[in-house]
Amino acid sequence: MSGFDLSGLTASFGGERVLGPLSLTVNPGDQIALVGKSGAGKSTLIRLIHEQVGRKSSLVPQELGLVNALPVFHNVFMGQLDKHPTWYNTLTLVRPFAEDRTEVKALLKALGMDEKLWIPTASLSGGQRQRVAIARAIYRNAGLLLADEPVSALDGPLAHLVMSLLTERFDTSLIALHDVDLALKYSNRIIGIQDGQVALDESSHRLSPADIMGLY
Amino acid sequence: MLSYPTVRTSLAFLAIAVVGLAFADISITAANPWRDLGNFFLGVVTPNFFSSEGLLTALLRTVAFAFVGVALGSFFGFFLALAYRSWPVRTFCAFIRAIHELFWALIFLQFFGFHPLTGVLAIAIPYAGIFAKVYSEILDEADPDPGRLLPPGTGRISAFLYSKIPDCWAQMRTYTAYRLECGLRSSAILGFVGLPTLGFYLEASFSQGLYSDAGAMLILFYVLIATLPLWVRPRLIPFYVLGAPFFLGEGLPIVWGNVQRFFTQDIIPSPIRNGEGVAGLMSWAGDLMVEQALPGIWNTVVLTQVALVVTGILALLAFPLISNHFGGPVRRTTGHILLVIGRSTPEYILAYILLQLWGPSMLPAVIALALHNGAIIGHLIGKQTNTLQLRPDATTGFSRYTWELVPRVYRSFLAFLFYRWEIIMRETAILGILGIYTLGFYVDSAIQNIQFDKAMILILITAALNIGIDTLGRFIRRKLALQTMPTC
Amino acid sequence: MAINRIRKFLVSSVLLTTAFTASAETFVFTAIPDEDETKLVERFRGVADYLSEQLDAEVRYIPVKSYAAAVSAFRNNQVQLAWFGGLSGVQARRLVPGSEAIAQGVEDEAFETYFIANTSTGIKPAEEFSELTDELKGKTFTFGSKGSTSGRLMPEYYIRETFGDKPEDVFSRVGFSGNHTRTLRLVEAGTYQVGALNFQVWQKELGDGNIDTDAVEVIWKTPAYPDYQWTIRGDVDERFGEGFKGRVKEALLNLKDPALLESFPRSGFIPASNDDYEPIRKTAEEIGILD
Repeated sequence: MSGFDLSGLTASFGGERVLGPLSLTVNPGDQIALVGKSGAGKSTLIRLIHEQVGRKSSLVPQELGLVNALPVFHNVFMGQLDKHPTWYNTLTLVRPFAEDRTEVKALLKALGMDEKLWIPTASLSGGQRQRVAIARAIYRNAGLLLADEPVSALDGPLAHLVMSLLTERFDTSLIALHDVDLALKYSNRIIGIQDGQVALDESSHRLSPADIMGLY
Repeated sequence: MLSYPTVRTSLAFLAIAVVGLAFADISITAANPWRDLGNFFLGVVTPNFFSSEGLLTALLRTVAFAFVGVALGSFFGFFLALAYRSWPVRTFCAFIRAIHELFWALIFLQFFGFHPLTGVLAIAIPYAGIFAKVYSEILDEADPDPGRLLPPGTGRISAFLYSKIPDCWAQMRTYTAYRLECGLRSSAILGFVGLPTLGFYLEASFSQGLYSDAGAMLILFYVLIATLPLWVRPRLIPFYVLGAPFFLGEGLPIVWGNVQRFFTQDIIPSPIRNGEGVAGLMSWAGDLMVEQALPGIWNTVVLTQVALVVTGILALLAFPLISNHFGGPVRRTTGHILLVIGRSTPEYILAYILLQLWGPSMLPAVIALALHNGAIIGHLIGKQTNTLQLRPDATTGFSRYTWELVPRVYRSFLAFLFYRWEIIMRETAILGILGIYTLGFYVDSAIQNIQFDKAMILILITAALNIGIDTLGRFIRRKLALQTMPTC
Repeated sequence: MAINRIRKFLVSSVLLTTAFTASAETFVFTAIPDEDETKLVERFRGVADYLSEQLDAEVRYIPVKSYAAAVSAFRNNQVQLAWFGGLSGVQARRLVPGSEAIAQGVEDEAFETYFIANTSTGIKPAEEFSELTDELKGKTFTFGSKGSTSGRLMPEYYIRETFGDKPEDVFSRVGFSGNHTRTLRLVEAGTYQVGALNFQVWQKELGDGNIDTDAVEVIWKTPAYPDYQWTIRGDVDERFGEGFKGRVKEALLNLKDPALLESFPRSGFIPASNDDYEPIRKTAEEIGILD
């Protein structure tokens, strides 16, 4: 259910092909780190995959896609809007139910920001905003995580905290990372993208940082 | 300079206005225009607040009509905005907002009579059309990402409530509050056709030369608008909206048979009603076109073009009044007050005052339109210059104005001007009711002669003209890549 | 009926109001706004009090902003009685079958329009309008209201008859001042050189010393024609009880309060009939105001 098999993925920009054609098979249990220098096509690939498997995935895009005017709670709650009837969602906008409050609060606590539950996301820092988007993806609770640089704005210890939480919550994931150490530590498979093509696809434990640096 | 499209466009409009001026009747016919103007200002500085027992009631009614009208307009406008992508809805909205509040009031007066519904609908209907357009623009500009990230299968309403509304809420609220100010102006002028708002008493005192009474009313109206932020608090709005219907006054009961009669008889062209056949209809329509519609259209267009350019010139002259780049705090405060007065006074009232003082010609209308619209644009441009950081050694005085500021704000100035083009035309048409020979004059004459069939056709022609100018204005703004926010 | 009720209910609930209480028992009347509003309100409040006393019913006067608004309110049965001018009365009675002119002022049998000119024009009074053709041509001219008999219909009729042209082609500028008092003020001030107004307004203002006779004078008086009248709807008996129309008529004819009559100004009221206004109807049709 949470794996996928896609082929013929291509993307063009301004008439010029920037990605593919490439094929990708992801098996359940694959925790993939997507690496490559900026502009290689990582974000494009994640977007393409999301378009294909959307229904089954939790997504953390680079631009986060938060509703700035809403508090943290509602931004996280949006991950499960499909699970409730309209009246429930509408009422939640005005006054959230205790059960949901507890659940979201616990999740934020794991991310180290439960005190921000009722703060509008517009007034958060970059790192906090990133964690809200991650909380939303976790709360969404799909079988597959697609994340594009989810910890780029977080400092060392926090980045590790978040990455380990993500690997714990998602058996199957595809995470674009520019930090080679993080990539090696929190994945079991590494895919390297270069000039819009898969240049590397290997189990993490067979790779060293030097192997990956070749892509940059 | 001529290589700039903005400059070329400006010069073209200037040339059109100069040619228009040659055809326009702009003489002052009053024997003592300045003495009368002096008397008027004397009246304003010696206001008589205790003239009419009805004054406070009129203020209350003005506020009540504005609240109910704007609330209903925003409610229906919101739902229309949701369907704004469909062209029938877009066309419908363009049509209802192309007809001025006073024309709507004149129409409803014919069958609802002096019932509060007449005034409420006269504001709510055109405002719904405007709200629909602006709300839909705001909603379209909302960040699409959150919507894309919602779990598939999310209900449409939930998706809308979570991903669109919060993002647009602040902007929609600001715009609605701004519209409330416009609504107060609209509400005030409805008095000129007999509804129990401020205009009713203003017209009465003014026409009798009771300038101190009129001055008091104007001052109270300015105070009302200037203090809006103080008494219109978000928390109080529900109370105002729920309470306002109780302060509309009683009016006279509606007789529903009149509504049916209006639509099934009154507005049917008389040759059809009288069974005169196609030939009769053609000659009726031909007469209407040649004797009323065409002269009305011509005068409306000429006056609009002249007023547009004078508005532009005035706005450019006025913005330094509130700009931080010139003068001291005293000058700027005075400037602020002047511009607030200019934009708070509806064109219709300004034109009415000037017509009384200077006699009938296009001149009072041009000046009134230019004062009101020039103050609005000048205010916006002036505020914009306050966000500009000039280099420390920038020139000062007139060179600063011509070299540093005007070039920087000229594009947004043009954007505002072209945005208001259609508004100026809508007002120009309506000023005909005051006796200038624009379309409103012929509409009013038809109504005075109880010829609602003719009045309706002339109103439809006016609406079509407005829609045409609106389209042309948008075309020019797109061509010149000008962007603006909506004003009223 | 049921649908009407539902509609009424919906409208009321939309507006959340209980204020629509104007009961069927209130007898409402209006008048054409031919003069300054303060004067009208003063005059007709007096009439309302008088009628209320005489008819033993609640009587209310509502001021309107235009002649057409008076006609529309009458037509729409929002008012049941109106003090109309000759033309507005004809318009109203055409639109409301069964309505009737019941009383007119003593002076209204033979009403006149005065043409007045600012003295700076040098125009001297004349017996015949045709003597003034050369002097009037090219001057600026103001009517009263568009729907007025003495301020629009009759002067326009005589202008067309004498000059053989539309007023716009005779004068360099043609305006509509709105009412008679304003016509007087505008010509007095020289805003317009020539104007036409209700002779009663002229005489009253003159008597009250409100006219600067050095600045404005009468240059021609039209022949007499019928003008103002009280017109009542035909269905008032159904609504207010048998014989109501008769009682209103009687009350008006018996109005003797000198102060109230002075405010019109009329010396008294006499019976009138629809036929008295045939000449007005014909004139209006002739110049195209009535279809």
